[in-house]
Amino acid sequence: MSGDMHSGSDSRIEAAIDTALRGMGSALPEPGIEGRILNRVAAERMAMEAEPARNGWLAALRHTPRFARQALGLATTGLLGFLIVAGSVNHSRRVGPGRVAPPALDLPGHGIGAASAEHPAAPASTPAPEGESGRASRHPQHGRARIAPHARKAPGVALPAPSSHKSSSPDSQE
Amino acid sequence: MSCFEGQLASWVAPAPIAKPLDNARTIAQLVAEYSTALYRVAFSVTRNAAEAEDAVQETFLRVLRHESRLGEIRDYRVWLVRIVWNIVLDRKRRAKTRPEGEDIADHARTLHSSDRAADQTVISSQEHARILALIDRLPAREREALLLSAVEELTTAEIAAALETTESSIRSRIFRARRELAVLLEKEGIPR
Repeated sequence: MSGDMHSGSDSRIEAAIDTALRGMGSALPEPGIEGRILNRVAAERMAMEAEPARNGWLAALRHTPRFARQALGLATTGLLGFLIVAGSVNHSRRVGPGRVAPPALDLPGHGIGAASAEHPAAPASTPAPEGESGRASRHPQHGRARIAPHARKAPGVALPAPSSHKSSSPDSQE
Repeated sequence: MSCFEGQLASWVAPAPIAKPLDNARTIAQLVAEYSTALYRVAFSVTRNAAEAEDAVQETFLRVLRHESRLGEIRDYRVWLVRIVWNIVLDRKRRAKTRPEGEDIADHARTLHSSDRAADQTVISSQEHARILALIDRLPAREREALLLSAVEELTTAEIAAALETTESSIRSRIFRARRELAVLLEKEGIPR
């Protein structure tokens, strides 16, 4: 009994679904839809035909066949890639190898060396003149440094007059 | 020429390519042949006569923009259904919500007059609207298959081609959709 009621309800639901779907699937447009579509298509066609004259090469490109557009795209991509590589190579040739960066110092016993030691901007040390000692030479046996008589000095810097080792030595005055 | 020679000639000779010489005439033929079916496909989603017609017009504008490809199309009906289907789904996605244009009077006007009397004995307009609202609550895949199955002109194979799936998948989706719809209707109860 309840099975019959259930099947009856099911069939009624199925019928309702069928009717709703049939109604939706058999909807009819307003009369004259074909004419309206054709009119709109014709208007669009006229606009498209007038477009190339207005937009020039962009519109012409749109009307180019697909394979031609793909070939053009590939060629443009290849040319761009070539230009990028060529520009990169040209740039790296113009930059000198010594000016790229100072080489790292490898000093034994020092964790970090003076970066200016090898830097091209650092002042180069002046070598001592031939046959003479440097601006200052150290004599560890006497405990004092002695300035060479011909040492170059910066202007305005006063230097003590050269004297004998004995007179200048505080030990010898006694 | 014998039958064998005829077959041989058909094998050797290049198949006639369906390349329309006059695209405008081809489009006019497509409009005459498929505009009603496309309208029904669009209407099943929009439930609004003006929006459905606009979607059909947009479909043929897209055809016009790709008229150079007309010769490559194997099945115009499936191709056009896919275009109009994408248009209406895209518009629906952009609108986010179902338009409130589920105009029962609009829909009643579009029903066949011969069917209307028979349909009125089964369900009223309110019930009809309620069933359509319940269809919208179905999962997307099931709903889409069910809506397209409602369009008279479309076979299961064409629906499968339009939705890019198999016929068996379409059949099972329609079955699931109808079952879920029946469950929903049973829960809400159909007024007697």
